[in-house]
Amino acid sequence: MANDIAIVGYAQSPSLRQAELTEPQFLFPVISEAIERAGVERREIGFTCAGSCDYLSGQTFAFVMNLEAVGAWPPISESHVEMDGAWALYEAWVRLQHGDIDTALVFGSGKSSPGLPAEIYPLQMDPYTLTPLGADPVSLAALQARAMLDAGKITEREMAETATRSRKNAIGNPYAQVTGDDDPETLLKEPYVTAPLRRHDLPPISDGACAVVLATADKAKALSKRPVWIRGIDHRIDIHQPGMRDLTESPSTRIAGKNAGVGKGKVDVAELSATFSYQEKLLSQELGLGDGVEINPSGGPLAANPVMAVGLARFAEAARQIAERGKKRAVAHATSGQCLQQNLVAVLEGD
Amino acid sequence: MTDAKQDEVDPNAPVAGMDFFMQLEYHELLCPVVREFADALMDKRLIGHRCPQCGLVYSPPRGYCPICVVPTTKADEIELATRGIVTNYTVVTPVQYYGQEETEPFAKVSLQLDGGGNLSLQDLLEVPVEQVHPGMRVEVVWAPDSERKVDDITNRSWGTAEGAIQGWKPTGEPDASPDDYSDKVF
Ligand SMILES: [Zn+2]
Repeated sequence: MANDIAIVGYAQSPSLRQAELTEPQFLFPVISEAIERAGVERREIGFTCAGSCDYLSGQTFAFVMNLEAVGAWPPISESHVEMDGAWALYEAWVRLQHGDIDTALVFGSGKSSPGLPAEIYPLQMDPYTLTPLGADPVSLAALQARAMLDAGKITEREMAETATRSRKNAIGNPYAQVTGDDDPETLLKEPYVTAPLRRHDLPPISDGACAVVLATADKAKALSKRPVWIRGIDHRIDIHQPGMRDLTESPSTRIAGKNAGVGKGKVDVAELSATFSYQEKLLSQELGLGDGVEINPSGGPLAANPVMAVGLARFAEAARQIAERGKKRAVAHATSGQCLQQNLVAVLEGD
Repeated sequence: MTDAKQDEVDPNAPVAGMDFFMQLEYHELLCPVVREFADALMDKRLIGHRCPQCGLVYSPPRGYCPICVVPTTKADEIELATRGIVTNYTVVTPVQYYGQEETEPFAKVSLQLDGGGNLSLQDLLEVPVEQVHPGMRVEVVWAPDSERKVDDITNRSWGTAEGAIQGWKPTGEPDASPDDYSDKVF
């Protein structure tokens, strides 16, 4: 039985199409704000874990430089995942289970603006078999959307409705990049980027960062009036080769959701890493989220897509819903790989 | 495989492997503090930020002190000396891989500038690699006005100034004492 770990602090940078600052520079205030909000002394933090991608930065060991935003002298205990910061949170959660430390700092960051994501992601995800075919993420997402349309599991109008709602929700989100109040009919008149996906079905290209502070139960109660408890967390991986999968399903999401305990109570709100519009319905169904669940009140990844921070930002946004908006139970979801290959699901609760 | 028969391609054989070459290009805005550093180099000046808390000097400036975790601003900007001491060095012996342009061993040195501030990855001029040693006193050699450029400076060029600075040459003064630079090696 896992020990309860709580989110006691979180912060994000605005999501920008092109950040003028370097990754450590824009991480700097984000990490400081998360630590300040947690009310913990920086030197007290027992473990630090970061998520980022050297392919995005165009430099080996770029993540080492990001540590400058943490304050790594005297030396600290830290680790890094070449994954979204949500997986860094998972590693920190595991580390806290040992019980010998009581706080952990997690952050994710990335600048997508310097390179071309369509070239970079295939190399990062599969340089061997898919990249030489030119299988970039938008093309693969279009295949998955097509599979869902052909199976009658979604309509283009539903995809546009998701985009419309995301953009409207994002109007109230100071970190969002894409906002708007167009109706679905207007969006559906736009040309395809890669059929059947239009621009509104795609996430924006974003630079940004997110940081979260975790604490063990006693420490969390001492630090925070409203700790946000991680009641369950799990991540699963589907078969790597998209041609070997039924793209209209996401078994990894289903299993991770079940193991995280999504179905064990009423879910008020879910922050899903639905990077492409059609994924929201697929994820909602696999997680068993009914009609009463508010999905992506922040606007989600369609409104802000800081790669390597976008999944961790779902934790921050879900925690915000509990700590600041009075919600009781929330789901946070992160994904990685092509066509929802890897999925991480957590259930967050207030007291 | 060395067997000649193995090199013959059977047109009916399944494809077991293929060559795939790829190049990624990145274009990033210079962040404001590195832009100021680059502008100063064009002007034959070396600038840095002095941390208001611990006094360490960062050149190029980073906009923060990673030791104290405090921001630094234009108010913390200082002009650095263009003379200093070699504190450390690395001799690189080039291996000929694709894209490698160097053929002869060369040295990259770390410098402690008079009055504060450190630079790493600097070229040492007029000194054979076997004679490079800590304690050497050196001064800057700027690239000629017409050739000076900062195109190669990136947000990650922390310590380098290639294009603007040709390198550093010995001043002819006696070596500095280790006491002048010990515990300050960058
Ligand atoms: Zn300092």
